[in-house]
Amino acid sequence: MAPLSKGIVMKAWVDADKCQGHTLCAMAAGEFFVLSDVDGHASAPNETVPPELEAKVRLAAGGCPEQAIVIEA
Amino acid sequence: MTDTVPSRAEVHYDRHTPEYREQFEQVTADMQRCPVAWTETYGGHWVISDHKSVFDLARDPQLLSSDHDPHNERKGYKGISIPSISPTQTGILEMDPPDQKDYRALMNPYLSPAAVARWAPMVADITRACLDEKIESGSIDFVDDLANIVPAVMTMALMGLPLADWVIYCEPAHAVIYTPPDSADVPRVMEMYFGMVAKLHSELEAVRQRPRPGLVHALVTAEIAGATPTDELLAGMLSLLIGGGFDTTTSLTAKSLDWLSNNPGERARLAADLPGLINSATEEFLRFFTPAPGDGRTVTKDCEYAGQQLREGDRLWLSWAMANRDPEVFPEPNEVKLDRTNNRHSAFGLGVHRCIGSNVARAIYKTMLTQVLERMPDFVCDSEAAVHYPTVGVINGMQHLPATFTPGTRLGDGLDATIARWQQKCDDEQLANPVVATGA
Ligand code: SF4
Repeated sequence: MAPLSKGIVMKAWVDADKCQGHTLCAMAAGEFFVLSDVDGHASAPNETVPPELEAKVRLAAGGCPEQAIVIEA
Repeated sequence: MTDTVPSRAEVHYDRHTPEYREQFEQVTADMQRCPVAWTETYGGHWVISDHKSVFDLARDPQLLSSDHDPHNERKGYKGISIPSISPTQTGILEMDPPDQKDYRALMNPYLSPAAVARWAPMVADITRACLDEKIESGSIDFVDDLANIVPAVMTMALMGLPLADWVIYCEPAHAVIYTPPDSADVPRVMEMYFGMVAKLHSELEAVRQRPRPGLVHALVTAEIAGATPTDELLAGMLSLLIGGGFDTTTSLTAKSLDWLSNNPGERARLAADLPGLINSATEEFLRFFTPAPGDGRTVTKDCEYAGQQLREGDRLWLSWAMANRDPEVFPEPNEVKLDRTNNRHSAFGLGVHRCIGSNVARAIYKTMLTQVLERMPDFVCDSEAAVHYPTVGVINGMQHLPATFTPGTRLGDGLDATIARWQQKCDDEQLANPVVATGA
């Protein structure tokens, strides 16, 4: 998927109330999502998605079983 | 005011029959025409079969209780099995938040991805030893000689029980699941199973007397809601860890290897690009075979859902297996696509009860699959001699899966020696300790 047009920054984060630690997001976009060592729940340390990771982050969001990943462009 | 009984969408649904297993795809398509429906089987219960409804309902623990209350201390709810068979609460799976959440927090540091990663060398070595035992002969039973063993040894390790004891738990743990409720073998199987529970009770005491790290230790020292859990509850929790740890990963592995044997082109594709395909293939086999096909719940309050009137106390079955074949979410749901994307399957359940062992299961499964593909790439399963569980109401699994392959050479010592070596390492290095937060 092509990056969004110039000037529009894609943001993504994990809704902690919904995430149940399925860990699929880290498999799809390990550069963006970090799993807690203790409970395996995901977070996005940096909500701004670099253009080269946009496609991967979208795949992660589509594949999250709990639909816990929020994307805002 | 007249008290009319609302009319309900009714279907016939009995997942404990061989026909259900044999006609699963057709039954699923039929059920999904009426995805929230009532069936009279097992005292009557709702059956939820489409992905959207399963997704909505599974994530609402306020509306749907998992509680099993055999001593009638709360509302007398019957837990997650339909029909309800166990006389005791099956650990954390038959509990609601907040207690459920506390137990989960207690066990997560033993089962998180970071915790599981520490065990990768052991899992690889035990798998290697299982294959070494058979590699020179050119024949193996993928269930008896591999998929029964690695998950069982790993479960022992996580619990902090003696690794070699996997053998004591193996037959009861599997037999209690694959023996149909009307089988003549039930008394023998139940005796074996209660023997296993008694053994777990003695392990609770042993770990209290001489503490050693692992999940058993975490549980015997737990304080939940200001009290220590009863031994009955703890034994239920340990039985659950054994049941969840042993049978499900075994089933997934056997079903996948059988499928790959029958689809050699796809097997070659997977073997040629394991790094690229192993993750998506694993999720796809999880979706397609859904080893744990569903969970029961009890409705906690009268409400309307999808045009149906649910009533407090109604029993309800969330079918992960059928939801995983919903064409709305999974295009061509009855096809295995090793590179499927957007695969938001519910094979590990959804919501607060998501399988706590999912990271362990994936790690063991991928290791077994990888090593088989690397060392026995031309294996052919004997479909005639394979034994599938006669019914799949509890677990979609296999009892035996014999296969042949071109013999190869051993890489190391045998299984018993390997287990003994890892036991030593577990003891020396206290491997079963929980991970601790690094504060990073
Ligand atoms: S895939 Fe979804 S539920 Fe799983 S860890 Fe990522 S955000 Fe959480």
